[in-house]
Amino acid sequence: MSEVSLARSWGIYAVLGWRNLWLHPLRTFLTASALAVGIAALIFLSAMDDGWMQQIKRNFALTVTGHIQIHARGFEQTQRLRQHIQNPAPLMPLVRAQDGVKEVVLRVRASGLASSAGANAGVLVFGVEPEAEARLSRLSDFLVSGSWLRSDVQHEVLLGDGLADRLQVGLGDKVVLMAAAPDGEIASEVFRVRGLLHSGVLDIDDLFVIAPLPKVQQWLGLGQGVTDIVIRVTDDDRVTPVWNSLRSLLDGDSFEVLRWNDIDPMAEQWAEFADVYTWIILLIVIVVVLAEVLNTMLMSMHERVREFGLMMALGARAGHIFVMILWETIVLVALGAVAGFVLGGVLVFWFGREGIDLTRFAVAFSFMYMDPVVYPRFEWSSMARIIGASLVGALMAGILPALRAARLVPARALREL
Amino acid sequence: MAIIHAHRLRKTYPSGSTHVVALDDVSFDVQQGDFVVIAGRSGSGKTTLLNMLGALDRPDSGTLKVAGQDLLSMGEAERANFRLWHIGFVFQAYNLIRVLTARENVAYVLQLQGKPSRERLKAADAWLAEVGLEGMGDRRPDQMSGGQQQRVAVARALAMSPSLVLADEPTANLDTHTGGELIRLMRRINEKNGTTFVIASHDPAVIDAAHTLIVMQDGRIEQSVCRD
Ligand SMILES: Nc1ncnc2c1ncn2[C@@H]1O[C@H](COP(=O)(O)OP(=O)(O)OP(=O)(O)O)[C@@H](O)[C@H]1O
Ligand SMILES: [Mg+2]
Repeated sequence: MSEVSLARSWGIYAVLGWRNLWLHPLRTFLTASALAVGIAALIFLSAMDDGWMQQIKRNFALTVTGHIQIHARGFEQTQRLRQHIQNPAPLMPLVRAQDGVKEVVLRVRASGLASSAGANAGVLVFGVEPEAEARLSRLSDFLVSGSWLRSDVQHEVLLGDGLADRLQVGLGDKVVLMAAAPDGEIASEVFRVRGLLHSGVLDIDDLFVIAPLPKVQQWLGLGQGVTDIVIRVTDDDRVTPVWNSLRSLLDGDSFEVLRWNDIDPMAEQWAEFADVYTWIILLIVIVVVLAEVLNTMLMSMHERVREFGLMMALGARAGHIFVMILWETIVLVALGAVAGFVLGGVLVFWFGREGIDLTRFAVAFSFMYMDPVVYPRFEWSSMARIIGASLVGALMAGILPALRAARLVPARALREL
Repeated sequence: MAIIHAHRLRKTYPSGSTHVVALDDVSFDVQQGDFVVIAGRSGSGKTTLLNMLGALDRPDSGTLKVAGQDLLSMGEAERANFRLWHIGFVFQAYNLIRVLTARENVAYVLQLQGKPSRERLKAADAWLAEVGLEGMGDRRPDQMSGGQQQRVAVARALAMSPSLVLADEPTANLDTHTGGELIRLMRRINEKNGTTFVIASHDPAVIDAAHTLIVMQDGRIEQSVCRD
């Protein structure tokens, strides 16, 4: 009986809540405006974060890793040269045929030791196809002196600048590279320094040696073998479809297909960082809503104690009063949230087109894979979360006054004036 | 038939280190269809007693049956339900919900009772006409005089088809003429429809209209007179 009457009376409490808000238009307007500004600012911050994350992901994926890699099964785990793809050629047409594949390159990846006249250092050797690699990854962008590799040069390598410092070598100097061939034999080879790279990423600058693929294959006795088939896709959201399709096409006993975020633990950390940032924003949304609305609702409730007493005397249940106040709070927050959403949306679209130039801070950002110009991104999922958080804030801000009102004793409430 | 049966009602309020006895051993019956006025000086316990009868408050001890129901054994939800179906209230002032029109104020209680929308708006207009407020349905409380607001409250109380109308100093905020009209309206409805009224008041015009007069002093019934 009571539930039925509450359900049937729902409409009247919506009307009451709405009209009560406009009993004090200025108060409602000020509260909603403050809320709107807060929510707009948070929407903008969140969109900045989304823009950044997209940039970071893209830059990160394309710095070295590529979007997708195919290995011989188990290579990612062991990093042993013995687990290589002996003949990649037949796979290439299959990979290139995938919808959304932009570039495919072959690599040999091996850890080894570099020696110069004066020093030794542990290194990561990358055998790459010079022209294709320049189109796929950002490695060639990091060249700071000398020149990029060419297919027709054999005994030349590029070094990270930190590594060059440690080896005390410069352009044209000799380095000897040593690494274990698949059979376990240590093989060594002499190269000259053709160029130096500086990326701001420590691993690259301090460990990387980039050499022509055919020379590395020959040096390590791999024949046509490679360790990685690296794929760049046209667009971020092609990663998973292409990955899925390749996994179903390739024999799982011989090959492993990995996305960039499966390969580098760093990616996982970025994602976690982004999550924390998102939660902080949502928390602030809730706090902003609470701070703005709780006070207004308590004030409004205080003025209406007698009216609540009256409604209870007429037969309204405590639950009705509770629902009415909660509803009023939600409407108030919704007013602010909608206005904030529009305001924030406009800001995001405007700056999303123009970009925000952070060149002044570029040095600080470069190591984080950020570009100096950020483009805020409007992502529905982030917006939905912020709206959801406002609603949570509204419920929290409404529950205290609503509970207080619902706990009123009618006889006492009626004596208030 | 007795619509109210009150026996040895007692109510005290804490006041500093002692307590105030607001109702002291109050016993009385009210017959169906009666027009009862409870008179007495300020602080004599009239409001406290009316609050007991309307299930707005509980006595410390005693027994109380209204419309055949034992009010003291009910929980809060049951009491709200009891008020909804059995009691029409008219208070001294601020009887109406500020943001609702006269019609909506009357219709509100019918909505609580679960009446369909068309029926409740029709009934609201009919009751407004009955109390002399034809055509005023769209006015908000702040667009009506004190007397008109009290009439809306009477219309609302009657629209609920209550077993009992309880009015606490309904004329106290009105001038003598308007107050006189309001009390005549209630008396007329009492005679026409047989609705039971219990009115707390020290207004001579109200006391004059009483069929049964109960006079209270210091929380006790000093005398009870029935005019037949
Ligand atoms: N909530 C309360 N707390 C403490 N004392 C109260 C409370 N309500 C009423 N009283 C006291 O109880 C006594 C009876 O009060 P009540 O309001 O019932 O009198 P009344 O006859 O209605 O007076 P009035 O004509 O002024 O309305 C008074 O002494 C009053 O001060
Ligand atoms: Mg009183």
